[in-house]
Amino acid sequence: MAVEETSGNGIGGAVERLGRATVRGVEEWGYAFALLLETLYWVLAGHFHRQPVRPAAVAARMMTIGVQAVPILAVLTFSIGVMLAIQGIHTLKVFGAESQVVVGIALSVTREFGPMITGVLVAGRSGSALTAEIGTKQISQEIDALRVMGINPLRYLVAPALLAMLVMVPALTILADLMGLLGGAVYTALAMDLSIHAYLDRTAAILQWDDVRQGLVKSVVFAIIITLVAVTNGFAVEGGAEGVGRATTRAVVLSIAYIVVADMLFTFFLTR
Amino acid sequence: MQCDVRKEAAFDVVTLKGEVDLSTSPAVRQAILASLEAGAPVAIELGEVTYIDSSGVASLVEGYQTAKSRGLPFTLVGASESVMGVLELARLDKVFPLAATLGELTADGG
Amino acid sequence: MNPAAASPHPPVVIEVTDLVAHYGAHRVLDGIHMRLYRGEIMVVMGGSGSGKSTLLRHLLGLNRPTAGRIVLLGTDMARAGAREMQDLRKNMGVSFQGGALFNSMTVAENVMLPLREHTSLDERTMAIMARMKLEVVNMGGFDHLMPSQLSGGMVKRVALARAIVMDPKLLFFDEPSAGLDPVVSAELDELILRLRKVMNMSIVVVTHELDSAFKIADRIMVLDEGRVLQTGTVEEIRHSDNERIQDLLERRPRTLEMDADEYLARLTGKG
Repeated sequence: MAVEETSGNGIGGAVERLGRATVRGVEEWGYAFALLLETLYWVLAGHFHRQPVRPAAVAARMMTIGVQAVPILAVLTFSIGVMLAIQGIHTLKVFGAESQVVVGIALSVTREFGPMITGVLVAGRSGSALTAEIGTKQISQEIDALRVMGINPLRYLVAPALLAMLVMVPALTILADLMGLLGGAVYTALAMDLSIHAYLDRTAAILQWDDVRQGLVKSVVFAIIITLVAVTNGFAVEGGAEGVGRATTRAVVLSIAYIVVADMLFTFFLTR
Repeated sequence: MQCDVRKEAAFDVVTLKGEVDLSTSPAVRQAILASLEAGAPVAIELGEVTYIDSSGVASLVEGYQTAKSRGLPFTLVGASESVMGVLELARLDKVFPLAATLGELTADGG
Repeated sequence: MNPAAASPHPPVVIEVTDLVAHYGAHRVLDGIHMRLYRGEIMVVMGGSGSGKSTLLRHLLGLNRPTAGRIVLLGTDMARAGAREMQDLRKNMGVSFQGGALFNSMTVAENVMLPLREHTSLDERTMAIMARMKLEVVNMGGFDHLMPSQLSGGMVKRVALARAIVMDPKLLFFDEPSAGLDPVVSAELDELILRLRKVMNMSIVVVTHELDSAFKIADRIMVLDEGRVLQTGTVEEIRHSDNERIQDLLERRPRTLEMDADEYLARLTGKG
């Protein structure tokens, strides 16, 4: 250990550190990918090994990940819809095109803000909780206990979480879309001479199935990102309660970063 | 494992032979509960049991509890030393009515 | 290898041959040989850093060795397929140092978990089995509590109940008396002896508690710096002429061999 630390001087050291970080990064991605495949394997073939993924466990996860996130998500996305309406009307006034605000809100909510806000919220609420849970189980030897009992931790802990995420993040995204549009509608109705009903009618006419689908595809990817980042960081916990805290913070920061970058890449390729 | 039920005097005699373990105890449980369901007093012959695990003992416990709630006699007959050891571990030797032989039991019953 | 008193031997349940393990570049186990016979209680002793916890992790199949062979109940851990490992795991129980109970489940659910996952027994049978094992460890009537409501000694006893709920042939017990008051730890020792007597379990106990080791062990294996110093009966270990073992028995701080040059280099950081 001492040797590694002292050799980290100068350019050689910097290169070495970069190399090490790269290797670690690749390792981490590879590990996460293998974990995803193995978890999916357990979902599909668990019955064959007499280790099925329990529907009750998935349902419990869906409650905490999805149902309990509804109020906060509704408030957040409604506010975002209002905010977009304010900014949109303000900006479009310059061109005298305020009425086009409906188009802007409809597209930006379903394609961007709905899935993104949902992803960030779920990462903060449930991703961090998952990291903390797995990390705590790791240091208290509960993971070891599962393994020696012949209960695969991926099947028992990760698979239900992954399935719940895959269902609930898109479901929440739909809710986010609706609430965002509603927020926009309410503000626009107040600010301009347009009824909520007329606003929503116009939105429905503008929106293509493709816009919503784009958001939903993103949300599925976000679900996978959140789960994998949370789980890999949870399993990697070392060094007691402090370690759990560090891993939790890292998981949240990383998954939000990955979500934003992934979102950008998606937007780039899907809107060309 | 073998699990046979026959009528002797008023009793349904459930005779167990061999190893009672996780894979075989459900059959034992079924047999005991079925006899009790039919309202018969039950005697369990354990003389030729070579091994009984906790799932087997748990089935006996459930049977005895069911018998008690229906007011039916329930007796373990001819438990070997190794079977008694397993019962003693959970202090069940003081719970179950025990008899050394079936004759003893049927004579008592009249 | 030191044969146990009775011969011919009962069947071998654990056979470890020339086990070598590394943690990073550091060699933590070096040429370990170990043999456990059916119905035997072996205590693995050693100070912290002796490698006893690492040895346990290897016996449990949680770590993969660098070299050597571990055969449990006739199954070679390195070669066993998933199904074989699964069968093996059903026949072994482990009580971890901190208990490793699942905090989101009640005591009863914790004990029932292996049954739920591995058997298709009736729900009532499983519940009775779990309560019976809780009675065995003197925790009867606590089945609806959560682990967070239990004291350290209670957690250990529940962990033991969970370890034995499937009636395993092999039982591993990590530090049964660590952090417990003497009365509770004496109770646990009694319990271990009873389980062996009634169920004919083969038991490996990892501990640094001398009193407990001398009370329960058929044979003791003393580890130091990743090597086996000696394996022998309680008497043989007590009267061992190995200096490190005597240090351990009398709780003397160990006498380090000193190389003056190396020591100086270490202090000044110029190696």
